[in-house]
Amino acid sequence: MSLRNLPWLVLGAVVLMLVAAFPLVASGYHLALGISYLYFTVLATAWALFSGPTRYISLATVAFFGIGAYTVAVVGEVLPWGLVLVVAALVGVVVALIVGLSTLRLSGIYFVIFTFGLAELIRQLVTWYEVNVHGSVGRYIFVEISRNAIYWQLLVLVLLVFAGGWLINRSRLGLALRVIGEDETVARHAGIDTTLAKLTLFAVSAAFMTVTGAIMAPRWTYIDPTIAFNPMLSFQVVIMALLGGAGSLFGPLLGVVPLVILFDVLSAYFPNYFSILLGLVFILIVYGLPQGVVGLVQKHWPRALKLQAGTVPVAARAAQPRSLLSVDRLRKTFGGLVAVDDLSFRVEPGEIVGLIGPNGSGKTTVLNMISGALAPNAGHVRFKGRDISGASPFKIARLGVARTFQLVRVLPTMSVAENVLASLSHRAHPLWGADAERAAQALLERVGLGDKAAMFADQLTYIDQKRLELARALALEPDLLLLDEWLAGLNPTELGEGIALIRSLQDSGLTVILVEHVMDAIRSLCGRCIVMNAGRKIADGPPDVVLSDREVVSAYLGEADA
Amino acid sequence: MLALDILLSGLILGGMYALTALGLTLQYGVARIMNLSYGEFLVAAAFFAYWCFVGLAVNPLVGLIVVVPLAFVLNWAIYHILLTPLVRRAKNRDMLEVDSILATFGLLFVVQGVMLVVFGGQYHTYSFLSIPLQIVGVTVPINRLLAFGVAIAIGLAAYLALKHTRAGTAIRAVAVSPESAQLSAIDVRAAAAFAFALGGALVAAAGVLVSMFLTFSAAMGVNFTMKALIVVIMGGVGNMMGALVAGLLLGVAETMVARLGDPGLTLAATFALFLIVLLVRPTGLFGRSVR
Repeated sequence: MSLRNLPWLVLGAVVLMLVAAFPLVASGYHLALGISYLYFTVLATAWALFSGPTRYISLATVAFFGIGAYTVAVVGEVLPWGLVLVVAALVGVVVALIVGLSTLRLSGIYFVIFTFGLAELIRQLVTWYEVNVHGSVGRYIFVEISRNAIYWQLLVLVLLVFAGGWLINRSRLGLALRVIGEDETVARHAGIDTTLAKLTLFAVSAAFMTVTGAIMAPRWTYIDPTIAFNPMLSFQVVIMALLGGAGSLFGPLLGVVPLVILFDVLSAYFPNYFSILLGLVFILIVYGLPQGVVGLVQKHWPRALKLQAGTVPVAARAAQPRSLLSVDRLRKTFGGLVAVDDLSFRVEPGEIVGLIGPNGSGKTTVLNMISGALAPNAGHVRFKGRDISGASPFKIARLGVARTFQLVRVLPTMSVAENVLASLSHRAHPLWGADAERAAQALLERVGLGDKAAMFADQLTYIDQKRLELARALALEPDLLLLDEWLAGLNPTELGEGIALIRSLQDSGLTVILVEHVMDAIRSLCGRCIVMNAGRKIADGPPDVVLSDREVVSAYLGEADA
Repeated sequence: MLALDILLSGLILGGMYALTALGLTLQYGVARIMNLSYGEFLVAAAFFAYWCFVGLAVNPLVGLIVVVPLAFVLNWAIYHILLTPLVRRAKNRDMLEVDSILATFGLLFVVQGVMLVVFGGQYHTYSFLSIPLQIVGVTVPINRLLAFGVAIAIGLAAYLALKHTRAGTAIRAVAVSPESAQLSAIDVRAAAAFAFALGGALVAAAGVLVSMFLTFSAAMGVNFTMKALIVVIMGGVGNMMGALVAGLLLGVAETMVARLGDPGLTLAATFALFLIVLLVRPTGLFGRSVR
């Protein structure tokens, strides 16, 4: 805690005290407005906690809010109030886990569609239950809680949601979520358990929404499903979060401040046109401020990221007696097309093996099966003696297999250093904090990007993006590195640098599989080459030998030239 | 007899879902716009038919002839005015998806708000050709049969047009790959606008037909959007035959739950079906696996 921060802390404490003292002086309309401010702050911040970094838009805020309100209606009179809130949070978490487990494995669009209908689904289920089991559609809430108490409870919740968000942003989980938002495939290959990360945050966000609903419930004396599950609320929350900027913790607050007043005025003066006006405001925001107010600010004052230089020792690798990788009768089909057919080979520790063959011969598919992007239809992949066929990419990455992509995939709007941190913080022995930043800087220097750590990844040139991908792969501390045409598209000077870099990796004990069309690189780097054609292995041996093999030549050049 | 009754009612309802989904698969599969306000346009067309019949004493089928071209033009204008800026700004397909979800989410509330102001929040219905007819021992009102017949005719016409005309070929090419379609000298922007407008025309037709035998209210749009989305995903995005089969399937499943279980649980049944399809075959019943 430095002295520089002290004035801010004092200011924060004073503001907090003023906000907390508000109910003592305000009443009636003003207190109601204060309550609106607080509960929309919780909802919008909780919404952005999940949907901001992952870019999975949730349209189900009111589903959780309503569940909270109903929890109070059902158990509010039998349990002490504190316990009621705990029960509400638990119910919210359970529903979130059910929804998340069934949809978060899939791509974002299914999640959006599901949440779009979720509030309506729960409303119909509750109605059905109330009519058929409970006997009446509505319920009375007899919990006596003063408006002042509601206000203070919400204030505590606001503090909790900000504290929670602050902790998550600083944690590995926060980084993981931003990587997922940028490129989910990269996230998985960087060792991130994407489903777990998304699920955790969705549940946390849902818990906050449910508790908000529970705290707000005593404000109604009577609720029925139409009141508790009003879809307008989900809509308002999304508008607020987007206006402020869902990408940062305090962004949604910037949206809540003007919009609560605006909504209040609109519903007071134009009650019949409320939904039309709301829709128009929202469309304006989507067009005019796609990144929110925060995005506008960041565009004019881009943040700077500093990292200290340092060195990181390359871990000594113990000699391994068995083959590092053994691929056994691997097969993969896409519909009727057999991409990889009965392929077997071994890779020994410390080797650089070239995987070559004409376009469409199945090389990238083999890499995809080794790294877990695709599951084989038959056969096995064993790495350090363990069967990893069909395992998740993040598990394989943590075991020590790293890869680059044929078409470069960096995390465009994250800094170069953060691209590397993504892997560093999710490998088998994760680094975090100052250690991780030093290690990231060391890796960047190793690939020649030492002075570009603070740049955004999409500002890099093509060759530098390739270097960055390599640094991110090396950050996993892999034993096996899969390079998919990493040298393609480089000019002669860059090619020379690239070859030297790969050789230095071998010297530090790394094993490399190289899918490559640049034959000069193959000849100078690889001790051994595996040649594929139409999904099958047609040769395996030293480059000079296999490249003059009759079958290999005919595969490349056609029968007549062989 | 109950089984036959369920099957027949289910197929009729399913025919409506299939037609609705056909339009959505054009908007999402070709124009790449995930339109959350889709169901509102169905309800709006239903209100139009209601107004024609109750206010002007005009046959809904005549209303259909007016509303379909009207909806086509309206949706074409929406694509050009509201959605083109988003298409231009999107760097990739995912970004367009997110932006279109948000923009049409706003549009949903605007359209719904207008309907609430004009017609109010209560349920509407009108009695048109509700004369019972006996078919193989099952009683079916004529209006339902008529709606089903028209829906099938429109769906078939759209399907044949897409399969056998030049414009249809362009649209299918864009659905498969916008990048490659461009290389074949297809104006992707125009094809997308046309597909979006055609989708809007189909959903308007579905709205008029649905109004002939179902009660509806201004707030019901979400239900139809959800069902159309689910049918599209079940059938495989961009797959017209898949949408037809999945639509009929959903209609029968829903009618079964309503008759044997409880009408209040139909949406739950829809969601359950959706989840099962997602977990077992995320690419849809008829979708091909993606590489």
